[in-house]
Amino acid sequence: MMTSLLKLDNVNTHIGQYHILQGVHFEAKEGEVSVLLGRNGAGKTTTLKTIIGLTPASGGSVTFLNQDITKKATYDIANLGIGYVPEDQGIFGDLTVEENIKVAMRKETDESKEKLEYVLNLFPDLKKFWKKAGGNLSGGQKQMLAMSRAFVNDSRLLLIDEPSKGLAPIVIEKVMEAIVEMKKQTTIVLVEQNFIMASKIGDSFTLIDDGKTVRNGAMKELIEDDELKHKYLGIG
Amino acid sequence: MNKPILLSRSNIILFIIVLALVAFPFVMDSRTLTILVTQILIFGILAMSYDILLGYTGIVSFGHAMFFGIGAYCTAIMLSDFESTIGVFIVSIIVGMLIAGILSFIVGLLTLRLKSHFFAMLTMAISGLLLVVAEKWRSVTKGNDGFTFKAPEVFKDRVIFYLVVLALLVIVFIVLKRFVSSPLGRVLIAVRENEQRTKSLGFKTLYYKVIASVVAGVIAALAGSLYAVSLRFVNTSVLTMEITLDALLMTIIGGVGTLIGPLVGSVVIESAQHYLSGLARDFPIFERWIIFFGIIYILAVIFFPKGIVGTIQTKYSQWKIKRNQLDVAPLSKSKESSK
Amino acid sequence: MDLIISLVINGLATGMLIFLLASGLTLIFGLMHVLNFAHGGLFVWGAYAGVFSYAYSGSFIVGIIVAILTGLVFGFITEKLIITPVYGNLVQQILITLGFMLVLQEMIKVVFGPNVVAVKVPELLAGSWQLGDIIIIKYRIFIIFFGFIIFGLLHYMLTRTKIGLIVRAGVMNSDMVQALGINIKRIFLVVFMTGSALAALAGMLFAPYSGAIYAELGMEFAIMAFIVVVIGGMGSFQGSLFAAILVGLAGSFMAYYVPYLSLAVNMIIMVVVLIFRPQGLFTTAKG
Repeated sequence: MMTSLLKLDNVNTHIGQYHILQGVHFEAKEGEVSVLLGRNGAGKTTTLKTIIGLTPASGGSVTFLNQDITKKATYDIANLGIGYVPEDQGIFGDLTVEENIKVAMRKETDESKEKLEYVLNLFPDLKKFWKKAGGNLSGGQKQMLAMSRAFVNDSRLLLIDEPSKGLAPIVIEKVMEAIVEMKKQTTIVLVEQNFIMASKIGDSFTLIDDGKTVRNGAMKELIEDDELKHKYLGIG
Repeated sequence: MNKPILLSRSNIILFIIVLALVAFPFVMDSRTLTILVTQILIFGILAMSYDILLGYTGIVSFGHAMFFGIGAYCTAIMLSDFESTIGVFIVSIIVGMLIAGILSFIVGLLTLRLKSHFFAMLTMAISGLLLVVAEKWRSVTKGNDGFTFKAPEVFKDRVIFYLVVLALLVIVFIVLKRFVSSPLGRVLIAVRENEQRTKSLGFKTLYYKVIASVVAGVIAALAGSLYAVSLRFVNTSVLTMEITLDALLMTIIGGVGTLIGPLVGSVVIESAQHYLSGLARDFPIFERWIIFFGIIYILAVIFFPKGIVGTIQTKYSQWKIKRNQLDVAPLSKSKESSK
Repeated sequence: MDLIISLVINGLATGMLIFLLASGLTLIFGLMHVLNFAHGGLFVWGAYAGVFSYAYSGSFIVGIIVAILTGLVFGFITEKLIITPVYGNLVQQILITLGFMLVLQEMIKVVFGPNVVAVKVPELLAGSWQLGDIIIIKYRIFIIFFGFIIFGLLHYMLTRTKIGLIVRAGVMNSDMVQALGINIKRIFLVVFMTGSALAALAGMLFAPYSGAIYAELGMEFAIMAFIVVVIGGMGSFQGSLFAAILVGLAGSFMAYYVPYLSLAVNMIIMVVVLIFRPQGLFTTAKG
């Protein structure tokens, strides 16, 4: 039986005076790719931000590795082993690829060096542009750098926000392959608008609408449920 | 909250206060006290004008002294160069307000597009620039030494000047009150609350902010004119940061966004300044009375950002809600019991 | 020629002092988006604490060390008591730091007395060299030297050390730095204390340069530092060096050729820069 690594229970989040999340719940099981789906503005990005603590929840609970992390500071949450790849990738533009990764690597142990080696094999481009400023990378390379940076940070769980956004189809293909590969080493929560991509690599799904979870389940169920897809994703 | 009728409770209280202020010099025959209260009223006008910026529009200006100084210099220069009559006095006020209006329009147009910290810095710099100009332009301003001049004959009687200042304060208060409760004033409050959203609603926020800064500048010039006459003397100190700080302290401590607050702040600060510097003869620490204000001000910004009046208002309305709830509560209880 | 050289030396020395003040201001702004209007207060506290311990101990080095310590302690207090409570609220920050500036300035008068204090250049650095027609004042060369050493040190820290890396990353995107597991608040504190120590050091070095110090000095120098930070680009460390030298040189030449314009010129530069290029002269525009 697979244990649940991350659990959100009736999470509510306010940003300023706006009540963005109004009851999100889902579980991410170890070794799986969980996909958050929903329309634009449904609250998927905010859900990730709430997990990492950038927009802390005002109600409900977030549990990671059986620990309540709802009220913890962002850096504490990250240090428990959660890596975050924001929608805009959050690359430090004036820092080189090397420096971008260095910021993330807290201690240079054998294990972290191994992980670095691993991602550099996964994304040979990064090695090639090792001394290049992050801001000068292409969109796909930035995505790869952001994913590597989150991964080397000793992460048990990766939160990845719309990795396919604004990328060429061939690059999307590459990023997808990388996610499938990384899944062997870690657990992933993915926000994805591109349903074809999501359905290919996702194990389970959570459908969010108007800040609430409307359905959880295995990805298979959603692929077969045309009505649900039509109602909330406008496809099928 | 704001009842449309003229005789709402707060208006009656204000009316009584004004009456008391009118009667005051006739009851208390004290020259020092009259001068002190005149000073309070003048700084009250200045602080109210600052409240239009800080309290109603959410703009932090560190250069408000320049408009005050312009008013002061206009009146002083015209009264000493021309005849010292009421006519010249009135014209000088108008000229000062005009110049301040034009300057605040230009400065506002150029700088109000910037983010608040840039704006604060720029106003500080521009006002600093004006101070430098005033200090160097000795042929007109006599620099830091300043010059004395004769006030119009009527104002020889301190009480008459006091009454004129009081009348002007009441007029300014009513005009500003109208201004902030007009549709235009409400847009200003919206800018303070959330400029982005006000913009996205289709309001040209820059335009409204410029209007606020012109209104504030013009009123500050009026206060400056009165200040110069009250001292019968002017020097470059009217353009210094201290003046801006005074207005800032009064507004923050009294209560931002209330108009009454700055007046209360003026009473508190001017009278404390007066009495504390009196105490300084015996206790030298009071020479540095500004430290106490600085500390109170810092604590106010952290703990009572609404100031004296704002805090009282909130407490009062909370108390009112509570009382209303208490009135309703027994009813609902009886309903429950009847169920 | 000799005139130009001595004006350049003058300008560089002033520029270096402003740089010390502005570099802290710009880093604090870049990282925390806090414009510290109390920065000048730390400058003047550094000057007084340093000068009094210099007079007491007779050692200029003790004075410098005390000034730096004063800066660190005051930086710690300011960050914890003044900045943290209103963090994220721009208007409150502006208001409160200005209020604290006022308190710092008046406290100087309470602790050290309200009078202007005369300061002597330490013997070792007193006097001047004569090179042909040119007279070079030793202490000015010392300031220029010292300033470049500090710049080098800071530059090394920012580019070669882990904490410098984190600071640079934080200036670009502080949320992301946190999401990578770094306690940004601790970094804020370190940067704030360093910036304050630099301001205090600048004050101490300035004291013998001008020969006299007084409480209002802080505000005057802070305005210069603001100008430099704006011209150099808010948050740009290198920009603040270039801008400081520019302002120093402009001030020195103007003071000689058009004295009545000397103060105004820098302010006019700032106003023009702010209006037409608010991101500063020495930074590239960021989207």
